[in-house]
Amino acid sequence: MLSPTFLRNLLCSMLFIPAALLSISASATDTDRFAHLHGQLNIAGGTAHIPVMKQAARAIMTANPDIRITIAGGGSGVGAQQAAKGLAEIGNTGRALKPAEAAQGLVSFPFAIDGVAVILNPTNPVKALSSQQVADIYAGKITNWQTLGGADKTINLFTRDEASGTRAVFVKKLLHNGSVVTKANVVPSNGAMKTAVARDPAAIGYSSVGYIDNTVVAPTLDGIHPSNEACANGHYPVVRKLYMNTKGEPQGLTRAFIDFIYSPQGAGYIRSSGYIPLAQQ
Amino acid sequence: MISSRLFHLWCLFSALLLLSVVGLLLGFIVVKGYPAMGVTLYFGQTAPLDGLLGLAPIWDGIWPACVGTLSVVSLALLLALFPGIGCGIWLAQSAPSRCRELLTLAVDILAGFPSILMGLFGFTLILLLRQYLLPNANTSLLLSATCLALLILPYLAVTTRTALLALPPSLMITAQALGMSRSQTLGYVLLPQAIRGISGGIMLAFGRAAEDTAVIMLTGAVANAGLPGGLFERYEALPFTIFYYSAQYQSEDELQLAFGAALTLLFITAGLFSLASALLHRTTGNTL
Amino acid sequence: MIADKRPPLNRGNVTGSDRLAALLPWLAGGVFGTIVAVFLLLGYFALPVLFDGNITLFSPIWRPEQGQYGIMAMVMASVMLAILASLIALPLAVGICGLCLFPQYRRIAALLRALMRLMAGVPTVVYGIAAVFLLVPWLRDTLHYGSGFCLLAAILMVVILILPVMIMLLDSHCRVLMQQLYPTASALGMTSSQIILHLILPSSRPVLAASTLLGLSRAIGDTLLPLMLAGNAPQLSANLLDSMRTLTAHIALVLATDSHSAEYNSLFAAGLLLLSVSTVTTILIRTITTRSGARSPQS
Repeated sequence: MLSPTFLRNLLCSMLFIPAALLSISASATDTDRFAHLHGQLNIAGGTAHIPVMKQAARAIMTANPDIRITIAGGGSGVGAQQAAKGLAEIGNTGRALKPAEAAQGLVSFPFAIDGVAVILNPTNPVKALSSQQVADIYAGKITNWQTLGGADKTINLFTRDEASGTRAVFVKKLLHNGSVVTKANVVPSNGAMKTAVARDPAAIGYSSVGYIDNTVVAPTLDGIHPSNEACANGHYPVVRKLYMNTKGEPQGLTRAFIDFIYSPQGAGYIRSSGYIPLAQQ
Repeated sequence: MISSRLFHLWCLFSALLLLSVVGLLLGFIVVKGYPAMGVTLYFGQTAPLDGLLGLAPIWDGIWPACVGTLSVVSLALLLALFPGIGCGIWLAQSAPSRCRELLTLAVDILAGFPSILMGLFGFTLILLLRQYLLPNANTSLLLSATCLALLILPYLAVTTRTALLALPPSLMITAQALGMSRSQTLGYVLLPQAIRGISGGIMLAFGRAAEDTAVIMLTGAVANAGLPGGLFERYEALPFTIFYYSAQYQSEDELQLAFGAALTLLFITAGLFSLASALLHRTTGNTL
Repeated sequence: MIADKRPPLNRGNVTGSDRLAALLPWLAGGVFGTIVAVFLLLGYFALPVLFDGNITLFSPIWRPEQGQYGIMAMVMASVMLAILASLIALPLAVGICGLCLFPQYRRIAALLRALMRLMAGVPTVVYGIAAVFLLVPWLRDTLHYGSGFCLLAAILMVVILILPVMIMLLDSHCRVLMQQLYPTASALGMTSSQIILHLILPSSRPVLAASTLLGLSRAIGDTLLPLMLAGNAPQLSANLLDSMRTLTAHIALVLATDSHSAEYNSLFAAGLLLLSVSTVTTILIRTITTRSGARSPQS
């Protein structure tokens, strides 16, 4: 049987081929804006953003070796903190800014739609969960996979640190601000979440939809498969926007980078990372 | 005597246990890392010569991290060398006093300082500097090097002091009897004699700085930066690369990168430590 | 200020070595000043946290979303890690150091000493990555409890991390004793293991204590191994197979968050605790080693 993830990936890659072709022809114009720029651009924060940022940085630095772009993770909290303190020019967040963060003069640039999905090890027979079940698992009320129709194994919980925007969205929109038991393992990034769940047959975790590949599976939530399409058309409820944030209106290289993310080439990178691009507002 | 027989067995058992566990762990790194070794591990898809000369940016390779580690450690050593060795000489040469006692205590305390605290110190320092003195200061190569310098300073001071104190007192007496001043004795007789021990200390410090992860992860090391761009910019470093990719590899290639980097770093630091300890051992008869 | 109180013989001809000697007190003073500055800065940020009446700091509950910033769970995890690791490491260190003293194992001893030097140079992160792929899956599969990321995994790796320094300290002391005692004791008909067990080890008690403390301070200060292996769950638990978070890992994880919140302040409380523990152990080790006349640990 073909797994839904496989089909989705196939669909994505088919959608992406024309986009990639387009972006090759468009690259002459999209990276042109960097022609007379030089210097360093520091990007930090949300780990869901990293694949997009990495591809963009690669294209820009190849086109113009005078530009250096550094990318660090840390989570949305770091993104907001570093941008507000000026430690990074662009601070990424996977959630809207908190009022206290926005009050420090941050300007937000939403550039993509992403879902947050529960992820399981591919060997786990459980393929469907209800949001109530997920909430119960994370509250510590359901502790064995047998209860959910799986093998007789204790559920190993994985969660993110408090700086994570993915965690904030997950707790707010799926757990409805319910608590997460303290015994849950804490991992510091979407990537670490994925690899931890991929290695542990009894694990449950949650990550950005963009990070889901064939090493993990996303069970249906209340009967809906968390695909890009379901996120875009609103059928899948646990969605969020990915933001870039700058201190004040961006200038120079920072401005050019943000414009590049919104360009067709940037949109191609957003799609290939598993997100849905948003137009510049 | 049963107890002494048991003790004998316990000695054999614990040595065997340690040998097998360490052999297993290091063997695992070698077995996993060895296949990754090669030009692609260091330079990715970039032509090696272009990458070496910095003509083309390197992606999916650990060469930038190697250069980053080398620069941050060299800079740290540069910053710590004079104060560290000077401090060690002073400790060995000065007459016993309250000042010397205090400094010895301070150096010992610094030697036991958890490295994450040095990272916290660096991060706080930069926030403080930005607020009051240098609004453009940022986490960077220089900040990491400064914190690492503080971390390795005790190694330099203590090895220098030990190397000098291990010299036979007759050297000093003879030199002074020949009419040399104390500073001349130090410069022309004692330091050249202790140079082995001191250089052992330098290597030890180098290895210690190269392996530390907790400090650099809070003060400027990032996952993607390319070759180090300058003192005030962020950089890649080997230990951070290992830490980063071991937890969040996106593909088998990235995992290979982590193991390759681990093997590279292991070679560098284990080699340095072994060499350093051999040097120190020969001069002072002291292990480590 | 010149350290040299004697008038130099070649007056008027200031050589390089004179200048160097003149510089020494300044270098020493600078080093001392810097160390004090590090302490002052950390103290300056940490002390207000302890005295601002935020009682939640000393609770075991870490739920920043609900305004509870207790770090006691992390303190417990750190304490358990440090004590258990050094207690496991001590008998092993005694065993290995003992083996190095047997005259018949001279060759093996040389090999073991070389291995210790090599182990002292293995980066923590390399132990970490090896354990993530070997120890953690093994624990998960054999124990059938939890994900394998647990305090026990961190403790086992920390034991390996602290063994070389403990053994080196013990060895440098016991070796000298053995050389002094062996001829007489063996002439009296004692076997090597009797000499080590009944003469050398009992008279090395202070050094044993010092090396345990040295291991303890290393264990409590290590960040990478608990961060990579212990699972980082901020829970209070006595079960070593549970996921737990140490103070060091807590600092590394939480430095991420907003710097105005109480979360960030709790970092400095954690830092201050670590600082006091490491300072106190250093002073204890010094007192023990100087009193017993042993060489003080160099690193």
